[in-house]
This record gives sequence, structure tokens and C-alpha cells, in this order.
Amino acid sequence: MGKEIILHVEGLRTEFQTERGIVQAVNNVSFVLHRGETLGIVGESGCGKSVTNFSILKLVQYPPGRITDGTVLYNEKDLLQCSEDEIRTIRGKHIAMIFQDPLTSLNPVIKIWVQIAEALRLHQGMSKKDAKAKAIELLKLIGIPDAEQRADNYPHQFSGGMRQRVMIAMALSCNPDILIADEPTTALDVTIQAQILEIIKNLSQEHKTSVIMITHDLGVVAEMCDAVCVMYAGRIVERATIDELFYDPKHPYTIGLLNSIPRIDQDSEEHLHSILGAPPDLIDLPIGCPFQPRCTHAMEICAYKSPPEFSMGGDESRTVACWLHEKEHAHG
Amino acid sequence: MEKPRILKNGIAIMGLVIILLYIIMIIVSSFWLPFDPSEMDVKHVLESPSFGTGHFFGTDEFGRDVLSRIMKGSSVSLIISISATALGAVFGIMMGIWAGFLGGRWDNFIMRIADIMFSFPSLLMAIFVMAVLGENTYNVIIAIGIIYIPQFARISRGAILSLKSNEFIRAARSNGAGNIYILFRHLLPNSMPPIIVQVSLSLSVAILLESSLSFLGLGVQPPEPSWGNMLSSARKVMMIAPWTAIYPGLAIITLVLGFNLLGDGLRDILDPRLRNVS
Repeated sequence: MGKEIILHVEGLRTEFQTERGIVQAVNNVSFVLHRGETLGIVGESGCGKSVTNFSILKLVQYPPGRITDGTVLYNEKDLLQCSEDEIRTIRGKHIAMIFQDPLTSLNPVIKIWVQIAEALRLHQGMSKKDAKAKAIELLKLIGIPDAEQRADNYPHQFSGGMRQRVMIAMALSCNPDILIADEPTTALDVTIQAQILEIIKNLSQEHKTSVIMITHDLGVVAEMCDAVCVMYAGRIVERATIDELFYDPKHPYTIGLLNSIPRIDQDSEEHLHSILGAPPDLIDLPIGCPFQPRCTHAMEICAYKSPPEFSMGGDESRTVACWLHEKEHAHG
Repeated sequence: MEKPRILKNGIAIMGLVIILLYIIMIIVSSFWLPFDPSEMDVKHVLESPSFGTGHFFGTDEFGRDVLSRIMKGSSVSLIISISATALGAVFGIMMGIWAGFLGGRWDNFIMRIADIMFSFPSLLMAIFVMAVLGENTYNVIIAIGIIYIPQFARISRGAILSLKSNEFIRAARSNGAGNIYILFRHLLPNSMPPIIVQVSLSLSVAILLESSLSFLGLGVQPPEPSWGNMLSSARKVMMIAPWTAIYPGLAIITLVLGFNLLGDGLRDILDPRLRNVS
């Protein structure tokens, strides 16, 4: 492909110890992120999307969470082997995050500009005056009117959409290589969602920032992403480029997801399609394919053997973890 | 420049005015008193309050001027109350944030110590400490401070625990902030409102405790005047000279009230969610 690989996650496993047993939240997840690319990670609630990304920055709380296996290569450095001090120099500066809920992601007693400047002050030792100027500049960049006055406000004086913009400004303050956006629009209403996505898109293009977009909204994926990983029960079941995903989905789960999107040209009398059943209990996963109990195409092999990721046509960036596609893999 | 927030809060202003009056009184009393508070005057024993003699609050059983003794005693009471609260707050908060932030075994260990300290009634604890350390003004501070440690530990731990799981803490971590930074920059300022309310309450309770100890003869020792030991000596002559008990009592009540009002007002002000609401 010739594109520069900026982040390489390989065989990542994260588990949580609970009273009922060990939860395998992330199970052997691998993916690569290229420079300037926007990668979507899609899946339903509790499938391990967020945990995957917290694991990348070692932000999983121990106890109960623990990263048990895998490598996260960033600039030829394995982040998972880094000491706490080392990884702190990476967080915020090289890899930044935007969180799901802008209402709780800002410290209520600290002025807006101070929070935006936090990473600048931590990583670049910027003086107070410079940091404030930079914070105001960032506020203007994300489209906050009266940035000079608003910089001295406290978070509760900002609306949800504005706070999410502030989060974006915080994350982008150090010009990170990678921006991890963890459902950045879930807590916002639809019109604001579009604005926020637009800001992320523009800024990431401008600064050649790679984005990992975690979402359960396929509309967001279609809007934003170049490539997509579909996650189910802690593993990646399908990876594809954006076109391949929407025009040629392979995995029954992906197909199910796509069919569940309400369409504007659909007959309103018709019931919306949904995937039957519920996601499996991550404590005792079925031995075979985790999707098998809900899968309409389930075969005999699915019940006792978990499918590996078959690459389609020998292309590593197009894989499906489903026995249905074993043959295509062999022929490719 | 807009008006400081504290001036918009009636309750806080009332408390502040009361405390300010006392502070002015302390300043005045440090270089001028109507009479020498420890000078005995056998010709004017137990004189009732009158403008003619200049003894506005009357005299006690040794002929000492009650007003002068109250003024002198106010600085003793206030200094004890402030230093004891500071002592308790510093150690208590240190214990509390340590326990809350580290969690697990440390949390358990520290909070069990606090529980043990809590299990003694506060006055009993103070009497015990005074008995061990000996009776003087500094030890009153230590005794009251020790009573306060578990209270502050519990309150700050609770505040830290409820804040720790907040998303903005994770956000700060994802920005590359370290533990110490998060503790002092994010956790401590956010846990201030309950601590400040506790401080103002503690200031007033410290005055009561100091008075109780002095009343029992364990606190500030005569002839040095304190409100508590004034009440204590007034006990014997209260029936014939009620002013010897009423005025020190009023002094205690008003200062305690002042701190409580200020505390309530401060809580309203310091809660950032109530800030700048027009």
C-alpha cells in the first residue's frame, strides 16, 4: 500500500476480574492504523471497543482490568511495555483521546482555557501566558464565539456541544499523531453531531492526524472513516474499507447490522430488521464462534470451533472471521 | 470588576460581619483594654453593669472587669479554634486523600485508624489527651486537633472516592497527567466544598470544646482569661451576679453563630455549579 503505518496493535487481550469470573473484554485484537487514516471501530455496547482503546494507552484500571497479552507498536515502541512515566509522555502529546460524555469529561472547577492548556503545560512546559493565547486560538479554531471571554468560563457555562468541542481542542492542543475518539457524538443531538464530526474531520485532515473512531453508529462510520473494524464479543469479526463494508459485507453480523439501519425509502409498515438474541456473556463464551447462537447461517463447525480471521483475496486489510468464507480465503 | 461573590450572599455577610467584629475586638484588645483583665479590685467586687463605673459588663468575684476579660479571652478562644482546626484539617485531609486515592489496603488501614479515633466521644478524647499532655493552652490545640483528624479524613476520603471515578480524571490521565498532578490539580479542588463547610463547623465546635475544657478546668488555666474558665468561675456567683455568666456565654454563642453562618454562606458560594448564576 505504501502508506506509513503509525500504530500497530497485535494480539491485544484485556480481561477484567469480577466476582463471577474473568471477563475477556478484548480477545486477540489486531489492527493497523496508517498515517492520516480514519479507522472506525464498530460494534454494539459492551463488545470491547472502548476497552481496546483504553488498553492502547494503558488507561485500563488495575484492578480489576488487566492487559494480559499483545503489543501496541507506536514508532517502533511497544506502549504496553512502557513504564508509567514513559507512557505519560505519549498520552496527550502523541496519542490523545476524546471521551464519550462531554458533560463529565471536564473538571467542573477549572476554567476552560486552563483545561485546554493542560496538555500544553504538561508536555511543552509552556508559560501561562503563551498557553492561554494558544488555548484561545484553539477555541477559535473549533468555532467558539467570543473565545477571549469564553476562555475564562467554567464548564457548566458551556452547552454539551460546546464542551465536546472543548474536548476536541484539548485533544488536539499538542498536535497528536493519533486521535482516539470514543463515541464522540453519542451524548449529543443530531445537528450538533454533524458539526462535531465535521470539526474532527477537518482538523484531522489539516494536521494529518490519524483518527480511531469508536462508534456504534454506522452513519458516523459512513461519514468519517476510511477503513472499518467490526467488533463482536471482544474480537474483530470483519475488517474492510468503507466501500467494501457497505457494498460487500461478508460477516453475517455485519450484514445484520447493516440491515438494522432504518432506511428512508423503506415502507413504514414494515418492521425494522433486528439481530435476534443478545450478545453473549463474556464470562463464559461459547467454545465456537461467539456469534453462532444468533447466526442464521450457523453450520456444524461454528458450534465447536472459533473461526480465525480469513483474509479475502490475500489482502490483510480485508478479513472476515467466519467459516462461511473459508473457501474464498483458500482460493485467494 | 464585579462584586465578589461573597458580598451577594446575605448569610455569609452576616457571619463575616460577626467574625470581623470579633477580629477588630481582638486587634483593639491587643493594645487597649478598658481595665487590666487580671487586676483585682476588692472595692468593686461583683458590681452590676453600669456606665457610671466604666464596667459596662460588670465585675466578677475578684472585682475584675468582665468586658476586659471577654476581650482578652476572645483572642485566646479564636487562636485555639483556628489552630486546632488547621491542625486537624491538615492531618485529616492528608490521611483522607491518601486513603481515598490509593484505595485497597491503605484505605482500609487508614480508615480503621480513623474509626478507632471516632469511637471515643470527642470530649472524653479531649479530656484524655489533656490528662496525658498536661493542662496548658497549646495542649488544648493538640487535643481538639486530634479530635478533628478522623472527621476531616472521612470527609476528604469520601469526596476523593466520589470524584476518582469521574470521566475527567480519566481525561486528565489521557492527557498525560501523573498521580500527584491529578490529586492536587483535579481531585483536591473539587473536594473543597464539603471540606470548607467542615472547616467552618469545626471552628465553631472548637470554640465550644475549648470552653468546655476550660470550664472543666482542663483547658486554659486561670488567671489567663478564656470564655470557658470565666463561665466556670461564674458558676459560683451566677445567682447573685448573673452578668458574670451571661456575657461570656453570649460571646461564645455569637462567635459560634458567626462561624456557622459563614460556613453556610461559603458552601453556597464555593459550589461551582452555583457560580455566576444570574
